[in-house]
Amino acid sequence: MPLDPIVHAPALVDLPFRDGYVSSVVSVSLYVSLVAVALSTLFSVPVAVVMAFADFPGRRAARSAINTGMGFPSVVVGLAVLFLVSNQGPLGPLELVFTKEAMIMSQFVLATPPITAISLAAVAGVDENVRDAARVLGGTRLDVALVVLKEARYGIVTAVLAGFGRAISEVGSVLVVGGNITSADGVSKTRTLTTAIQLEARQGQYETAMLLGAVLLVLVFGVNAVVVRLGGGVTR
Amino acid sequence: MLRVAGAAQSFGDEQVFERLSLGVDAGEVVAVIGPSGVGKTTLLRTLALSLEPDEGTVTVDGTDAWAVDDAERLSMRRRVGMVFQEASLFDAPVARNVAYGLRVRRSWPDRLRSLVRSAGPADAVRESLAVVGMAEATCRPAASLSGGEAQRVSFARALAYDPDVLLLDEPTSDLDPRNTDVIEEAVEEARDRGIGVVVATHDMHQAERVADRVAVLLDGRITETAPADVLFEDPSDERTRQFISGELVY
Repeated sequence: MPLDPIVHAPALVDLPFRDGYVSSVVSVSLYVSLVAVALSTLFSVPVAVVMAFADFPGRRAARSAINTGMGFPSVVVGLAVLFLVSNQGPLGPLELVFTKEAMIMSQFVLATPPITAISLAAVAGVDENVRDAARVLGGTRLDVALVVLKEARYGIVTAVLAGFGRAISEVGSVLVVGGNITSADGVSKTRTLTTAIQLEARQGQYETAMLLGAVLLVLVFGVNAVVVRLGGGVTR
Repeated sequence: MLRVAGAAQSFGDEQVFERLSLGVDAGEVVAVIGPSGVGKTTLLRTLALSLEPDEGTVTVDGTDAWAVDDAERLSMRRRVGMVFQEASLFDAPVARNVAYGLRVRRSWPDRLRSLVRSAGPADAVRESLAVVGMAEATCRPAASLSGGEAQRVSFARALAYDPDVLLLDEPTSDLDPRNTDVIEEAVEEARDRGIGVVVATHDMHQAERVADRVAVLLDGRITETAPADVLFEDPSDERTRQFISGELVY
């Protein structure tokens, strides 16, 4: 007689989900990650353009700092954000501990270095002759910047996807600043797909963890498809 | 109309040219000839108000372009068109490339309105593409063009906003004879429209074919400027004569 595998394939009918649990976890994951990545993109892309073309003291050091940021340990970032928002921290009066806003802050910090670094590489890689043409043909600085961004759009889409990948798959920092909380009726307040997976696995609920993992993969695939579509395709 | 006077330009310790003077008037074609690497491109960029000279002046209708504020210099720059040695087209359809100069001259509300109602290419875009025989290519992606086609579109892009002066930097150096003919005919068309043209080339035969005046740039100085037939038949400067006859090899 064959041995029972330790992990059974998920049987959807008897999964111990309360009403609205999975959808609320998905909703929190998407909300936190998308807002963090959107804010990070708004911040990172202009920074990348300035860093690529402006000459200022400390430019090289700033670039090194961004590259270093790509390796930030997420738990340390979570801890730093927790200090910021804790009652004794500078943002204490805003009462952000264990809120989605605090999770967005930590994901912003984590997503910004890859988005900036990859955007910077894409923007700096735009042919200098194309930039010159944009300027010599009568463009203002803003016109030239818009041309450069358009030329670098495939790289910038890749940067946004990398940032989203880092944010949505994040466990350590969102656990520290979000607390992995659900309400009394089991609806997620700060529980994300990744922290839910971690919790379910620790409790031996492997089927549930695997199903949530599958949902996460589908989400990542879906968001990638939408972003690539909006960006006109990563490959030409 | 557009001239440099007593201009010097250097990059770090390297002096590209000094005490250089050259001008172009409406409806005139001036060729700048000289060996590769002598500073023709730098001279054109100086004329295009893209580089500020270390010394000397660049004037547009007598006004020193580097003595005015940024806004006025931008309006001066917008009277000049330039075609680069490489086509340097944007990653966009041909019509959008050619319309660039027109687009950046419009106000932002106008630009946003044109985004909403997607009209076809402007008349100026179609006309300038027709000058270089690319009228049927408006919808083609720039990436799909051959080198010669791309350079022709680049010429149309500079012509579309009806500049007072066109600067051409080795516009046919990588082109086959057929595309070279198209570009040279387009230079004639520009002259007929009253546009002043400065063409930098290392091809003396081309200079002889298209130019009214030819300036010879050697070792950071213009050794001689003269009507094309005079300069090639009877140069007054010994170094010019040696360069034209091929005795002066770089």
